Amino acid sequence: MSAAASAPNPRAEADDAPASPPAAGVVGAPTLVCTGLVKRFGDRLAVDGVGFEIARGETYGLLGPNGAGKTTSISMICGLLVRDGGDVVVDGKPIQPGTTAAKAAIGYVPQDLAIYPDLTARENLTFFGQLYGLGGRSLAARVAELLEVIGLADRAKDRTEQFSGGMKRRLNIAIGLLHRPRLLVLDEPTVGVDPQSRNAILSSVQELGREGMAILYTTHYMEEAERLCDRVGIIDEGRIRAEGTRRELVELVGQRDRIALAAGGDLQAAANVARALPGVHGATVREGGLDLLVTNGRTMLPQLLQALSGDGLAIRSVEVIEPDLEAVFLHLTGKALRD
Amino acid sequence: MRIALVIAARILRQRLRDRSAIIFAVLTPLGLALAFSILIPNEFSAFHTRFVVVDNDRDHVAAILVDDVLGSLAEAGVADVDALSSESEAISEVESDQASAAIIIPAGLTAAVESGQPAEIRIVGGEFPLSLEIARSAVERFAQAVGGVQLMVATAVAGGSMPDAATISAAQAAAGEPGPIAVSTAALDRRQADLATFYGAAMAIMFVFFATQYGALSLVADREVGTMSRYLAAPIPGWSILAGASIAGFVLGLVAMGVLAIATTVLQGADWGPPALLVPLILAAVVAAMGISTLVSSIARTPQQAGGLNAIVALSLAALGGVFIPVSQAPEGLAVAAQVTPHYWFLRGVDTLASDAATLADLGPSIGILLAIGALTGAIGLVRARAALTVR
Repeated sequence: MSAAASAPNPRAEADDAPASPPAAGVVGAPTLVCTGLVKRFGDRLAVDGVGFEIARGETYGLLGPNGAGKTTSISMICGLLVRDGGDVVVDGKPIQPGTTAAKAAIGYVPQDLAIYPDLTARENLTFFGQLYGLGGRSLAARVAELLEVIGLADRAKDRTEQFSGGMKRRLNIAIGLLHRPRLLVLDEPTVGVDPQSRNAILSSVQELGREGMAILYTTHYMEEAERLCDRVGIIDEGRIRAEGTRRELVELVGQRDRIALAAGGDLQAAANVARALPGVHGATVREGGLDLLVTNGRTMLPQLLQALSGDGLAIRSVEVIEPDLEAVFLHLTGKALRD
Repeated sequence: MRIALVIAARILRQRLRDRSAIIFAVLTPLGLALAFSILIPNEFSAFHTRFVVVDNDRDHVAAILVDDVLGSLAEAGVADVDALSSESEAISEVESDQASAAIIIPAGLTAAVESGQPAEIRIVGGEFPLSLEIARSAVERFAQAVGGVQLMVATAVAGGSMPDAATISAAQAAAGEPGPIAVSTAALDRRQADLATFYGAAMAIMFVFFATQYGALSLVADREVGTMSRYLAAPIPGWSILAGASIAGFVLGLVAMGVLAIATTVLQGADWGPPALLVPLILAAVVAAMGISTLVSSIARTPQQAGGLNAIVALSLAALGGVFIPVSQAPEGLAVAAQVTPHYWFLRGVDTLASDAATLADLGPSIGILLAIGALTGAIGLVRARAALTVR
């Protein structure tokens, strides 16, 4: 399925509408249904009522900055964490940390590499395959197949400590695919990966989605969410702020563009000046510049530059960006995605 | 259970591949056991001394003491016993350290015993209190055996001084207690493991901790490298993860101790006793080491920390348990404290096996306490490890 084929049904935090139903073109019950997930660490509320559904063949992205609650949500969905509230149902079966059989439907790819460096690629795949009940010739065949898919067939007998970061990442993902799960959960799988490996990983995820696997993909890279995900949930401070297809989410921003300024000087003062201008809906300081959310950016630009230059800001470059998920995040939270 | 075996096989493969288990659990203790036994020849392992005896009675009661009681010491290899003709000659030998004690049998001993009159056997000791104690113990046992006879055993230091009142009183009290007429040498029958066996066993029980720790360490390592999250996400019960680690630790411990027992037997002639009795003792020792390793590792946050803690605990318990200094030579308080260590009970079990007449029942205390130590510490460790499997 594609994003364009999805029914437009954006859900912003402000309205009380229920979660979006499975995207159009998806047949049958959702593969994942999670509702009202809550997790506290001491006094800190890390996840506050997160809920969404993922249909078969759908790729759902959880987009948010570091610390937004993505990994905590995933950990509860996969049964790694005891949750303080909410329910998780995968393939019709409830998931709890103590459940075993229901977890067989999930393929989990943790954010950090989770492979044994002193075992070979084949040994790693074989061992984790055995944990999922695979064995004998079928396991050997599946391991060989995956080694081909991730381009490590010729390195199958090498210990993974000799692998590059990208090779380890690919193996890390392959382990999650061994048992052909109904739901694949990928927690920021491209962090620290070189561009070539990153592209290969994204292509593989797209292919898996086309094959009918339900995929939950967390990232703080806007481009990945835009490229991969049929629907995106924007998460910040433990809450889903909005959910929908890319087009639906961008429509939340309206005709607002994002202007990225590379500049030197008192950036905080400049941000305050910008916020005071009519048509500026948000201004955040980042390293080496400012991100602004403005109505009709190209029309607004001369006035904006004049005001900021007059305030002593040394502007080095300007980029006007059409509305994207970064702009949506800025619009919804008042801060940049990378914060 | 299949999953537990899969996990155990993975751990064993990793440990054999990096050779850490072989180095720490087999090669190091074997090397140390060989070195100790070479540096301290086996002939000196058993206590040995020399007594001289002066028989002024020359009758059949004195003959029982000389031939049966003191003769059994010679037969057991504890002491050479030589007869001398005069008291002055005997004391001279003690003073010159040629003998550690002189036993002076008074004239008329047999007549006194038969007529119920008091008699006194004097023991003159030299610089070695242990030797004097052995001689005194043997003669006192003889005195007790001669029931109803007022036989006094007097001890003195070299020079022939008379016993003090307390000694005489104690001896009289002892002699006053009736006992069987047959002189029992049961107390002298208790054997100790020879040097090769002792050091082999001592190194085995000390280093088995370095073998069994790898099971528990794997759980800590899985948390550190992130693979624990895969276990938690997999459709497997939590107990299988713990069981897998425990099986790996058990196998490594068993192999380490087994190799040491076989190697010291073949290379050094160590006598570990009958295999049918040794195997349960080794199994119990491995269980105890596993339990303690599991508990210690459950406290640690990193594999490095767990390894360090395990080493500290293993060496401390070894020192306390008589691996370096035999418990028999330790101060009384330390000797009592040693009994909380698995090392003490394992070495005691090995000593028990040195007796040809040893049975499984004789090993009962050692095996029972080793298993109890393993069960108690292991249960606490597993509960702690189990709690760490799920983040709350």
